[in-house]
Amino acid sequence: MSDIPAKRALPSKESALFKELLTLYETRQLKKGLKTADQILKKFPEHGETTCMKGLVLAHMGRREEGVDLVRKGVRFDLTSHICWHVYGLIHKGEKNYEEALKCYKQALKYDKENLNILRDAAQLETQLRIYDGLVETRHTLLRIRPAMRQHWVALAVAYHLNGNLTEAKKVLEHYESTLKNIPDYDVEHSETMLYHVRLLEDLGEFTEALAMLDVNAKDRVIVDKTSIMEIRARLLAKLGSDEAEHAWRVLVEHNPDCYQYYEGYISNLGLSLDVSDASAPKTLTILEEFATQLPKATAPRRLALTLASGDHFTELVTPYMLSGLKKGIPSLFSDMKGLYTDESKQQIIEKVADDARNQFSAEPSSSTSKDAEPTSYLWTLYFIAQHHSYLGRHAKAIEILDLALSHTPTLPELHMFKGRVLKRAGDLFGGARCLEDARSLDGQDRFLNTKSAKYRLRAGMVDEASALFGLFTKKDAPSPGADLEEMQSLLYLVEAADAYNRNGNLGLALKKYMAIKKVFDEIEDDQYDFHGYSLRKFTVNIYLNLLSWEDRLRSHPAYIKAALSASAIFVALHDNPSLGTGATSGELTSAQKKAKQKAKKAAEKLKEDAKKATHQTNTNDDKGLEPPAKDDDPDGSKLLQCTDPLERAAKLLNPLATLAESKIEVWIATYDVAVRRKKYLQASKALMRAVAIDAEHPELHIRRIEFRQTVSALPETPQVSGSLLTESLNKLLPEEVSAEAFNSQYLQRHSTSAPAILAVAKVMLKLQTPREQVDDTVFTVFGTEVPLDIKSSLSILSFLRSSKSPREDEFRTRCGEKFELSTVFKSAEELEKLRQVALAPPQFDAVSSDKTEDVMP
Amino acid sequence: MSTRGVYSFASLTPNNIGTVRKLNSVLFPIKYSEKFYQDILLPEVEDFCKLVYYNDVPVGTVCCRLENKNGEASLYLMTMGILAPYRSRELGSASLKLISDAAAAHAKPKIDRIYLHVQVSNADAKRFYERHGFTEVGVHVGYYKKIAPHDAWILEKRFSSQAPE
Repeated sequence: MSDIPAKRALPSKESALFKELLTLYETRQLKKGLKTADQILKKFPEHGETTCMKGLVLAHMGRREEGVDLVRKGVRFDLTSHICWHVYGLIHKGEKNYEEALKCYKQALKYDKENLNILRDAAQLETQLRIYDGLVETRHTLLRIRPAMRQHWVALAVAYHLNGNLTEAKKVLEHYESTLKNIPDYDVEHSETMLYHVRLLEDLGEFTEALAMLDVNAKDRVIVDKTSIMEIRARLLAKLGSDEAEHAWRVLVEHNPDCYQYYEGYISNLGLSLDVSDASAPKTLTILEEFATQLPKATAPRRLALTLASGDHFTELVTPYMLSGLKKGIPSLFSDMKGLYTDESKQQIIEKVADDARNQFSAEPSSSTSKDAEPTSYLWTLYFIAQHHSYLGRHAKAIEILDLALSHTPTLPELHMFKGRVLKRAGDLFGGARCLEDARSLDGQDRFLNTKSAKYRLRAGMVDEASALFGLFTKKDAPSPGADLEEMQSLLYLVEAADAYNRNGNLGLALKKYMAIKKVFDEIEDDQYDFHGYSLRKFTVNIYLNLLSWEDRLRSHPAYIKAALSASAIFVALHDNPSLGTGATSGELTSAQKKAKQKAKKAAEKLKEDAKKATHQTNTNDDKGLEPPAKDDDPDGSKLLQCTDPLERAAKLLNPLATLAESKIEVWIATYDVAVRRKKYLQASKALMRAVAIDAEHPELHIRRIEFRQTVSALPETPQVSGSLLTESLNKLLPEEVSAEAFNSQYLQRHSTSAPAILAVAKVMLKLQTPREQVDDTVFTVFGTEVPLDIKSSLSILSFLRSSKSPREDEFRTRCGEKFELSTVFKSAEELEKLRQVALAPPQFDAVSSDKTEDVMP
Repeated sequence: MSTRGVYSFASLTPNNIGTVRKLNSVLFPIKYSEKFYQDILLPEVEDFCKLVYYNDVPVGTVCCRLENKNGEASLYLMTMGILAPYRSRELGSASLKLISDAAAAHAKPKIDRIYLHVQVSNADAKRFYERHGFTEVGVHVGYYKKIAPHDAWILEKRFSSQAPE
């Protein structure tokens, strides 16, 4: 170090104390560290480095706020100390402010260019933030300072690779390998490094070199991962178009006969396809049948053959497949067969096979010595047939079959579960919840049944009752079952609960749960941080690179998409109508909500007490780490509802979806909704154009074409910058010579048999101030025989009639109730309340009424 | 002999008692009280109260209680039944054998006899137990209060001090 400022230098006694302080921190002896720091500060109260260290120690001891304040003070005392900046960086890292942390680390590096610790941390931060060019430089420096550490070489190669410079990466690896001496046998780290080198060559397109390297190292037993060798070998040979590829793929299939990817590899290597519509299908089918004969225990080739076969051949193959499954009693047989139902002829063949099986299994034995079928075969066949009918929308028929099965064997949980599912599909949510409870009562220790039953309660809107069920399996000392499930990152629970609150109109709690989903994904993104160090230490580079690209696509997960879309819809609604956010549920809280509020109050008070206790417990040596403790300061979501920047928050949520879910039209619709309200008209028009490219006739898009024109023409002046572009895209969306009314009725003519389209037209009509009667008349055309109407669309239409205060709302509701006979979602509020009570009653063990209560004689 | 699936037995727990209730509701014309369901979970009768599974599906139940009267220890068979489609597959016999063997091996106290009631209209059931070594030792007139006929045979099997049947 060059000139140390006067304030930093300490006389020998304090200097020794400071060194001791650093050691005490490293060994986490926090109490002693605190004392030592105070000793130094007594004499030198403005010593930046000690102040920072003291702050760091305090943060670790749980006195976080104090600690962070001190660190800031310390940095100000000594702006050119690498220690101060390093400590500040650590604090930011603890709070997951990676960008801020990196800035601090860069500052620290200014004053200590070759500090290994700081460099290493900086490299990890750069990887986390995907700043790959910075990463290359940092790794270069690390390698220059310590070329003897093998890790540094591989890390530099990886940095080049991530930055897109595969050639440099290759050079680094080659140089590195030339320096290696005395590699122990079967060294996994070296094996993994070589596998990485092979992958690098493959990524560079140098397949022959990659193959050579793989073969040499496999032969010399340098690479020890046999499966990887086989897989990479087959892949490379296929890419080289070599004759040996077929054999290599065959070896893989024999190695694991149930791995679908190996069959795909084998087939595509031969230039064939697993697509049934492809001309080569018969050839592929022959190959699969050969495999099936050769590998009799494998299901994969037999199942794949079903996809490719058709007509009589299909019948020949599917009959033994299904019979074997039904006799074995495989509950998931239908799920397996479901994939074939895109082909209607196969649907019918399967139905026939199942019906024949049912007759076969229920036939009376011809004599007492004949082999009669197992009653369980009959049972599972009925189960299959019920699933078949429900899948094809024949819910009443499915119930009929299920009731038959239930009278045969009422103790099979699957029957009750599926009956519940059929009722749910048919619109009877309370009936579904009731059946699921019946299923659950049969086996109280089955968590799957528990979760399903609770989920069905959530779907029926019974949030508290669902929570009671979840609570049977969650941690007893958690603040609530929901809190435990949230901590366990149960996306299933969070999505269902959020949707339930949303449907109930409880926007605050819905928003809170959607945000919780966002948080889960943020956590999963943060989780990769430790691997930047770990994977390089262990040389497991290939899987590490896969992790990084997986993380890059993380938010393409359906749960995130759902949460982002639903939450941004709520934010948009809040923007349009802020009164929704202020005690909007008609002012009065339901008893459940009151209870929730009280609970939340108690929890908040407990938290305060805990915090107070914590500050009193500061004299322990417990290392609380550098992460700020989680606290919930918005128990009923009201803060979220009243936030001042709903549109910005929505935009942030939708942002990743523009790349990760760009083929979903809903994403562009949502993006438009937010952009147009933020007055970003060019962005809005671009979003609509993306939507057009996906599905130009989509009903939601139709509504917004007209809305957009109305919005733009109502602007006081055309925006100067994008004015002409805007006019151009507007014209593409809705040609200026066409009136909105004409456009709307033309759309209706094109889609008069689509319920969602009719709803869209009605919404537009209302906006264009068409007379109410006409609007309602249009809506009621959905009952026409040509219009396939489903429950989902009916509920949307009902909601529209309700919110627009149509006089024909009840009429519509009643007609839907008649059309969907099994449903209950269209019943009136009083009827629903009665059904809810029935759903919550303890399981009825029918057959005998209570006046027949006998008991066993004492 | 017809093809036979696999059968097994399971002890009763608060988690599977719901299945027992379900079986009882379809097998027997009697509604059993809450006390019945509490008593069959007691540890001392674990060997004598079982669920019967066939090909992994619960299809039957057998429940007994221990009695000590007049210096004699008896095992009283309260319920035993198999769902209709699963009968004639020797599940009933296997269940009876299970509890008989357990009774014979029971030490504290040593069980002298097993007995049960059969409604006088149920000749099939009587024949079944007689095939397994039970004999009629009397009729309990008016045993059933709420279902008709009200009388029940008392069937009993005594254990010798030797090995089980």
